[in-house]
Amino acid sequence: MRYLELVQLAVSRLAAARLRAVLTMLGIIIGVGSIVALVAVAQGATSGITDRIQSLGTNLLTVQPGSTTSGFVRQGAGSATTLTLGDAEAIASLTDVAAVAPQVSTQAVVVAGDKNTTTSVVGTTADYLAVRTYQIWQGSFLTDVANQESLRVAVLGSTTADDLGLDKDAIGSEVLVGGIPFRVVGILQAKGTSGATSEDDQVLVPIATAQRYFVAGTKVRSIAVSVASADTIDLTKARLTAVLQERHGTDGTNDDFSIADQAQLLDTFSSVTGLLTLLLAGIASISLVVGGIGIMNIMLVSVRERTREIGIRKAIGARGSDILLQFLVEALVLSLAGGLIGIVLGVAASAVIAAIAGWGFSFSPLTVVVAVGFSLAVGVVFGVWPARQAARLDPITALRYE
Amino acid sequence: MTGPADAGSGPGPAGAPPIPVVGAIPAASAAPPVQPPDPEAAGAWLRADGAPVIELRGITRVYSTGRLEVAALRGIDLDVYAGDFLAIVGPSGSGKSTLMNIIGCLDRPTGGTYHLAGTSVETLDDDDLARVRGRAIGFVFQSFNLLPRTSALENVATPLLYQGVGRHERIERAHAALERLGLGDRMDHEPSELSGGQQQRVAIARALVTRPVLILADEPTGNLDSASGMEVLRLLHELNAAGATIVLITHDSDVAVAATRQVHVRDGLLVS
Repeated sequence: MRYLELVQLAVSRLAAARLRAVLTMLGIIIGVGSIVALVAVAQGATSGITDRIQSLGTNLLTVQPGSTTSGFVRQGAGSATTLTLGDAEAIASLTDVAAVAPQVSTQAVVVAGDKNTTTSVVGTTADYLAVRTYQIWQGSFLTDVANQESLRVAVLGSTTADDLGLDKDAIGSEVLVGGIPFRVVGILQAKGTSGATSEDDQVLVPIATAQRYFVAGTKVRSIAVSVASADTIDLTKARLTAVLQERHGTDGTNDDFSIADQAQLLDTFSSVTGLLTLLLAGIASISLVVGGIGIMNIMLVSVRERTREIGIRKAIGARGSDILLQFLVEALVLSLAGGLIGIVLGVAASAVIAAIAGWGFSFSPLTVVVAVGFSLAVGVVFGVWPARQAARLDPITALRYE
Repeated sequence: MTGPADAGSGPGPAGAPPIPVVGAIPAASAAPPVQPPDPEAAGAWLRADGAPVIELRGITRVYSTGRLEVAALRGIDLDVYAGDFLAIVGPSGSGKSTLMNIIGCLDRPTGGTYHLAGTSVETLDDDDLARVRGRAIGFVFQSFNLLPRTSALENVATPLLYQGVGRHERIERAHAALERLGLGDRMDHEPSELSGGQQQRVAIARALVTRPVLILADEPTGNLDSASGMEVLRLLHELNAAGATIVLITHDSDVAVAATRQVHVRDGLLVS
């Protein structure tokens, strides 16, 4: 028998019981559909996060203090306060370093008129704007002069400005930061990214002012470094390490700082999202297996129901292998058709989700290939047993079956 | 596989002109003449050495159910020659159904030898038996046994499917067989849309379409009213007159008289 004719036979048999065929396929449709949709959603989320990380600033290196050891307990990175403004100046003098923004930060209540909000207050320098790729919406950014004179001036993030009901007319007005009056000199353009910690909810003040009023001492919490070219990131990182080791008198075994770059951050995120994708796909595959069992169930019922038909076919010359193939192809057509419908629905669902969540819709052909392969495998695995039952029927018994 | 299978599917031209039917029973209705077996495939092969189409020697069949052994057939010797129209008559429980299963290659004997058109079939495996059934034997059953929810045309074409005949030729030959049984206007009907007599005619068309060496009819009139039953017997007679070898199994001696030769089965033995 030719395979094409087997497929035609299977399709016509299934078409004769359409509702049952559709209900049987439902398990596979849901299984494949959810795999395709979940993987696409996970990929969309990954690319969304990647975009966000890149929006933090291009060619960014972040220097953080190392960990302290208190008793026998090693504290987390950043718990030591070993970085100084002097370190930042030394880094700024390196070649290939485009801009350096040392940072201190604290939480404070900000009051404007009758509105208030609690947000992070970041003390930094004029380079912050370039390093973190912000843009000014209204007014101007912090200046070097403001830092030298420890002026009480503030630049508001767009969300913070909204929360305080301030718009472009607010430039030059006064806000209370932690109870201390500051003059608003600028408002930042929104970065427009979503996430748990908003890049747009903060108040920027000169670092010298912050050190005077909010955090004691001359230590800085982190130093953001913008490298002139992506090609020289590794080289610059090495130079930076050397300079800080010299200044801190360490030799690589007892460094009291760490330098993170974007690649590291991306690696961390992609390993997390990769795990997430795998987890979601794993959960969805369970429904695919359940769908396969549904197919096996229906095929077994079908073999029982069509015992007489099998007997007739054997009497008029069908061999066991013909019957086996007929039922196997039926199971395969069911699972494959279910798989294809599932792919269409899954892609549609992920496109809708992507549109709602606002990240790019990514369609991966690999997912489709894997999904089709999976549904074929399900058809074979769960179709073979019923088909063998059919093929082994004794023609005399089958013909007499009522 | 050699023997009946190959010979049965011999390269007879599909459009071979039918042998004119000179029916012994006058055609009462306007039913057209039936399609004869292919003269080159069945006829030439059968007449090659004059050997019987069916040669049963000492056939026994014992059913074992647990410790109980029941002998359904206790030594059957039977020859059926090309062109015979043989009725095997017996009451229920006589063993005639068992005999039919063995002649029809649906079952194997416990002992004895069975040659179908010169080929020993008692030792064949399941697949070879299926081939022999498909190519050498055309079945007509009491309960018609048509494929449900399948058109008459597809029903008749199905045996050819299992012989690997291409779709175009299958449809052509099924079409011709149905035309000649007077069902030209019922080709697209499913069995549930046909009367019993029409269903049995579809079944006869299906038995003919492979040009078998033997037509095996098991109580073909059992589920039919007497008029349709007579019509079926008339068709079998016409086929026989055109050269087909027919074995008819029945419990009804009124039906058996339609055959040209009768044997009686009783308690697993042939009695004359």
